[in-house]
This record gives sequence, C-alpha cells and structure tokens, in this order.
Amino acid sequence: MEAEAAKLIGAGIAMSGMIGAGIGVGNIFGQFLAGALRNPSAAGSQIGNLFVGAALAEALGILAFVMGILIWIS
Amino acid sequence: MADPLHQFQVKPLTPALDFGEVTLPVVGQVHLAFTNSHLAMTIGFLLVVGFLTLVTSGAKVVPGRTQAVGETLFGMIDGLTDSIIGHDGKKYFPFVFTVFTFILGMNLLGMFLSFTATSQLAVTATFGMITFLLVVIIGIRKNGLRFLKLFWPTGAPLVMRPIVGLIEFFSFLLRPLTLTLRLFGNMMGGHIALKVFAGFVATAVIGAAGWFGVLIFPLALGMTIGLTALEFLVAFLQAFVFAVLTCIYLNDVVNLDHAH
Amino acid sequence: MTVQDTSVPYADAPAPVALEDTHATTEAAHGGEHESGGLPQFEFQHWFGQIVYLIFLFAILYWLIAKVFAPRMRRVFDERASTISTAVETARQVQAEAAGQAEAAKAEVEQARASSRATAAAAKARVTDEANARAAAEEAVVAARIAEAETAIGKTRDAAMTNVSAIASDTAAAIVERLTGKGPTAAEAAAAVKGAA
Repeated sequence: MEAEAAKLIGAGIAMSGMIGAGIGVGNIFGQFLAGALRNPSAAGSQIGNLFVGAALAEALGILAFVMGILIWIS
Repeated sequence: MADPLHQFQVKPLTPALDFGEVTLPVVGQVHLAFTNSHLAMTIGFLLVVGFLTLVTSGAKVVPGRTQAVGETLFGMIDGLTDSIIGHDGKKYFPFVFTVFTFILGMNLLGMFLSFTATSQLAVTATFGMITFLLVVIIGIRKNGLRFLKLFWPTGAPLVMRPIVGLIEFFSFLLRPLTLTLRLFGNMMGGHIALKVFAGFVATAVIGAAGWFGVLIFPLALGMTIGLTALEFLVAFLQAFVFAVLTCIYLNDVVNLDHAH
Repeated sequence: MTVQDTSVPYADAPAPVALEDTHATTEAAHGGEHESGGLPQFEFQHWFGQIVYLIFLFAILYWLIAKVFAPRMRRVFDERASTISTAVETARQVQAEAAGQAEAAKAEVEQARASSRATAAAAKARVTDEANARAAAEEAVVAARIAEAETAIGKTRDAAMTNVSAIASDTAAAIVERLTGKGPTAAEAAAAVKGAA
C-alpha cells in the first residue's frame, strides 16, 4: 500500500473518535430533555450545566478531529 | 476546489509593517509582521471596546435596546462568577468578562471576515495559558503551599490517594491544553466544514460536476446555510464555555478551604 | 492529498515555490521552509508576533473593563436596584397602610355588629318581660273572675239544695193529701222527707 493511502485511511480512522463524542452529546441533550419534561420548573436553571457538559463531551471529539486533520495534512 | 485550509494562512498584510525574519534571544527565529491575524484581533478588540462604550456611556436606569443586549451579557457573566465562585466572584468578574467578550468578539467576527483569529492555535493557546497561569498564581498567592491540597483527594481511600492525586495533577496540567484545543478545534472544524460545503456549491455552479451539479447545488447550499447558523451558535457557546470553565478553575483555587 | 493551490505565505513577497511540484504535500505548498506539520496554524514563526500582540490587547481590554466599563455598568445596576427597592418599599408601605385601614374598618364593623346584637338582645328581653308580666296580670284577673264565679255557683247550689227539701216535703204532703184525703202537717212531712233522705 502506498504511504499516502495509508495516511488517508489513518486520518479517517482517527476521525471515528468523533462517534463517541456524538453519542455523548446526544446522551446529554436527551437526558436533559427527559429530565426537563419531568420537572420543567428546574430545567431553566440547568441550561448552563447542559451546555458546559455538552462542550466538555464535544471537546474529546474535537481532539479526535484535530488529530485526524493533523494526520491528513502532515 | 480551493484548499479549505487556505483560510487559516497567516499572511503579512503590507510591506510597510513587515519586519521580516528576526532572531530573538529566547524564542529563536520569528517572523515579525502585521498579519491578517493581527488585523482580525485588532478589529475584534475595537468592536468589543466600541460596543461596551456604546452600552455604558449613555447608560440609563431603564435600558434601551443596545444597552439591554450589553446588560444581558454583563448580567450573564456576573451571575456566572457569583454562582460559581461565590461572594469573592466580583473580584474576578473583569477577567472573566474580558475573556468572554474578547473571544466572543473574535468568534463572531470570524463569521463575517475571511479570517478567524480564534482558529489560530497561537491565539487560543495564549488564552488558555493566560487563564491557567492566573489560576496558578491566584492559587499560590491565596493559599501558599496549601495550594497542593488541590491534588490531595480527601474523599478517596488512603491507599488510593497518591494515585488519584497524581491523576488529578496531570488533569490539572492538561487544563490549558483542553481549553486551547476546544476553542481551536471548534472554530477550525466549523470553518473547514463551511468552506468544504461552500466549495461544493462553487463546484456545482461553475459546472465542474456536470449534470450532477443540479443535484449537488441545493443540498450543499442548504448545508452551508444550516452550518452558518450553527456556527453562530458555536461562536457564542464556545466563548460562554470558556468563561464557565475559567470560573470553575478559579473557584477551585479561590475556595480551596471550604469547597471539596 | 494533492494540493493544486500553490499559494504563498506572503502576499507581497512570493516565496520561491517550485511550480512543477504539483504533487507536493501541503507543507511544501504553503511554503516549505517551515519545520512542522502542514496546518497553517503550525507555522511557528508567526506565533510570537500573535501572542505578544494578543497579550497586549488583552491587557488593555482588561484594564478598560476593570476600570471603566464594569464600574459604570455596576453603577447602573446598583441605581436600578435602589430604584426598584425604593419603589417596592413605597408599595409595601402603601400596602401596609391599606391593610391597617382595612383592619380598622373590620374592627368597626365588628363593633357595630356587637352593639346591634346587644341592642337586639335587650329589646328581646324587654319584650319578653313585658309579655310575661301582662300574661301574669291577665291570668290573675281571670283567676279572680273564676273564683268569683265559683263562689256564686256554690251559693246558688246551696240555695238550691235548701229549696230541694222544702219542695220535697211540699210534694210529699200533696201526694199524701191526694192519697189519703187528709194532708199531714208540714212538720210531719218534713220529718218524713228527712228520714227518707
């Protein structure tokens, strides 16, 4: 296999780390919605926590994305 | 199709402000010039200052429209420092607010210019390091050697404490890195995706894709519009998250004694 | 990735990039003089200028916010808070006043009700007493009349009783006279009636 091809495949595999982040972010928002429907009065005060949690989970996906870009480009 | 990474290229703007390659004593060879990154930072800075001047100069008890927007931002960060750091929060409000508005200004500016300052690793790393160093300095000045208590988990069993403490220490050291990479990755990723889909639109329009262009064009254009809206949200959200995390990290060292 | 774009890092001073090197990596395409990876963000020779400039701007912005904007905003917030609190205080005062007035009115109503109740009770007692007294007086009159009538009846009956023996002796004398042709004396008749009785 050509080294170039191997690099592109590797970049693609590295990007698959974003799957986890997608699951994580989806889980956070889903759970938030479930909780908010159960207790709508408490939902408003937790919006900040929601987005911080989503951003923290997303950051790991972003690491995978940066990694993939680095492999792809270098 | 144009290279989607080309937008991140840092270029000197005018030969008048290009000082060329210089070798400095500690950092080595650098290229000193007024680049497009500097220009974006300057515009972002001026926007923030102008906006805040507009908001606060004619401030009334009953706010107008502009003042209401500014007060919302102000009140948001104020509530953040108050609720996370506690009654000491007022002291750290200017720092958090500066970080928030500056990042927000540059993020939003990136949606209008062809260059985004916060998609430069140098810029986000500077923000990350400023925050991290401030946290360390405040921690040591407020607590002295008791600062190290931050890494001593009192909740864990005694045997586990050194191991957990070590993990805590490394995760503490990783904080500036995650702060840096979160902002950098979000901004870069969003702009790359935007550029890629906009490139598809261009490909379809110039006819390079043949008759497939008819199929590609609406899909790619819709995607571009959707991503643009998402990027505005992300631009705000990342600035907010940066501010929230700054508050949380500050709280760790400010309330070291009565938290945990 | 093959990059067709052989753009140069300097807008004004084209870098000597070999144009025939079309299959070059991005690193080469973006001016191969950089030591690190292909991302434009990793061109470290531009880092120093950006970092210093950003720290400079950050310091100015921090100073402006800490010394000018935040205090101004804080003042507006405090002013608004004091305005609202005085308004709320006034409203609370007015409300307390109104509540006091309502309390007084209620007490008044209560008092009036109590007095009217007392008046009604007194009137009722008086009326009852009067009625009782009147009834008693009437009863006494009626009783006196009854007693009077009873004595009259008794008297009449006694008179009638005394007449009965006289009538009986008269009748007896008459009967005897008819039977025998010779009437008894009144004394004999009376004695006989008495004995028969």
